[in-house]
Amino acid sequence: MSVGGYYGRLLHIWLSGQTATATLLPLERELLADFVGGVGLGAYLLWRFCPPGVDPLAPEAPLCVVLSPLLGTPLTTTAKFSVVCKSPLTGRINDGLSSSRFALAARRLGVDAVVIQGALARLSILHLDDVIARCRVEDGRALAGKTPAEVTAALAGAERRSVAAIGIAGERGVRYATISNDGRHAGRGGAGAVMGSKRLKAITVRGGQSPGIADRARVTQRARSLAAASVGASTEKYRVLGTAANLETFDRLRILPVRNFQDVSIGRAKARRLAPEGLAQAGAHVRESCAGCTIGCDHRYGGARIEYETQFALGPLIGVDDPKTLIAAARACDDLGLDTISAGGSLAFAMECAARGLVDWPLAFGDDPGPWLSRIARREGAGDLLAEGTRLAARAIGQGSDRFACHVKGLELPGYEPRAMQTMALGLAVAARGADHNRSGAYQADLKAGVDRYRADVERAPLRVIDTEDHAALYDSLILCKFLRGAIAEPWGEGAELLEMVTGIARDGGTLRAAIRRIIATRHLFNLREGWTLAEDTLPPRFTEEPLGDGARLSRRDLDAMVAGYHAARGHDARGHMPELLQRELGLMRWLER
Amino acid sequence: MAPIARAADPRSIDVELYGVVRLRAGVDRVALPAGTLAEVLGALARRCPALAPELIRDGHASAHLLVALDGREVIDDPARPIAPGSCLVLTSAQAGG
Repeated sequence: MSVGGYYGRLLHIWLSGQTATATLLPLERELLADFVGGVGLGAYLLWRFCPPGVDPLAPEAPLCVVLSPLLGTPLTTTAKFSVVCKSPLTGRINDGLSSSRFALAARRLGVDAVVIQGALARLSILHLDDVIARCRVEDGRALAGKTPAEVTAALAGAERRSVAAIGIAGERGVRYATISNDGRHAGRGGAGAVMGSKRLKAITVRGGQSPGIADRARVTQRARSLAAASVGASTEKYRVLGTAANLETFDRLRILPVRNFQDVSIGRAKARRLAPEGLAQAGAHVRESCAGCTIGCDHRYGGARIEYETQFALGPLIGVDDPKTLIAAARACDDLGLDTISAGGSLAFAMECAARGLVDWPLAFGDDPGPWLSRIARREGAGDLLAEGTRLAARAIGQGSDRFACHVKGLELPGYEPRAMQTMALGLAVAARGADHNRSGAYQADLKAGVDRYRADVERAPLRVIDTEDHAALYDSLILCKFLRGAIAEPWGEGAELLEMVTGIARDGGTLRAAIRRIIATRHLFNLREGWTLAEDTLPPRFTEEPLGDGARLSRRDLDAMVAGYHAARGHDARGHMPELLQRELGLMRWLER
Repeated sequence: MAPIARAADPRSIDVELYGVVRLRAGVDRVALPAGTLAEVLGALARRCPALAPELIRDGHASAHLLVALDGREVIDDPARPIAPGSCLVLTSAQAGG
């Protein structure tokens, strides 16, 4: 079998003055096999290039754009890339995924990853080509304040370059600023602020390379069958309605976070207004898809992409029940380059502070968030504090506000009520990048038969969380869209087979699972190096001291017991540290000791 | 707990439909005779043929269908009795967002 899937090198770029110095560095094939790609390879690169203890917004802090072996093949949903950095919001590992044409164009650069360090003297554009001599910096000051869409329109040009850009939030260092491409975002944890700290308004890519495919005939055949499976009943929700269908259901199941997690339902009529049918009445509905995707989950209303997380965070979480207001707020976040979950979470926190009289800001639950989103992105007035995120805002406001500052490790919570989903409560508490629904899909366990989601199952919840973390890391390293999960019966064997037919590296499901465990361990080791302690794996007092209106409660003792069980099941010691023996078993010493 | 909507006939149960299940069925609520889960789903499939076979097959919920008793407990045992006055919430099994 021939070799494919990887180029075996990364492009390292050091920014200084108004110059980018590019260097090609080798990536051993064994290393690539051990860390797969995507967030997995990104975890390794962050460990390798991030100086311990560095300020995430310092020039030395790396911004890693990481590709994956399946990218560029005909396999559906593989047009994805990851962005990995140390989060300015959490101080811990941060990885985001984004999709579509930028990923495909970056694949043709002839490298498996781009690692950017340093900073430029003024706002600039970094142009990358597959000929390194053409890596160049262009003055970008004329694009200051422009939206990512405007920047893309300005830079794509006749060469049809693909563009990833930040909005004004990234320029101003908002700790939850996004990086945007093709209308999509590497959204969580503030990668846009890291890019802005390097004075990079945009990165454009164009190339003509290909790493090849080891067994093209098998890949073509599998691509056909996977595409067929991807349009079955398992993805019908995503195709027909999108994830926005969750809101009304979650309201009925009483797991919808409302007014900064003070309630779990907005009532049937209001939920119906915010459901896809209601959104379609408020703004013209268009369905789109990422490049090379056969699912097509991207539902836009009035020009704004509305996914469940955006819908909950800019809707019920801040008391908004008008679909037009919600759509406008989503569009504003796209234009400003703000993570919708953290923006909504920070606003919800501020609204509760105002309601309690802790601040004299003129805002209340139900207000149009538009003006506040603008203030946050521009760091104007009180928006400057909210741009720091909920955790730092609570520290500044004090007066006990940390009790209802809804974050984990500094990252605002996604749209799942932990008191009514207690496996998810554990998943949120222990997630490496903070409150996270993408690197741990523990909500899936809570919505299965035989699981009492109102009870902390100290014995089984840790194993369920580990299982969902492992599966998420698999999909995010390959990279395949997780919306395919219902169409893939046995992801470990299937993943190993896909990798083998693309890369030529033979392995079985067990070997692949070991690689994924290695990746998750690397993320934890990075956090440990950056100061993580067991005390971070928790939820704020709102969730452990305040029962929901229907009586649902999560005890601190049970949460702590589940966290301890999680670390024990991961093979960690009582402090959550990783014994050296485990590191050796996972084959980490040879890579991480360098 | 929140008040649960009850069927007008106390001997029957309410079935609430959400998302693509509702779109397929064309209705958002159905009242059906109480019985086992299999009997209720079988009756629902006869009332709303578009739900079969992808979501309901021979009275069994497929892997793509989530059934929550009174919106609280996810159930899949076909022999599970559904008491009169209960409510079944039916939606897609895929929760991710």
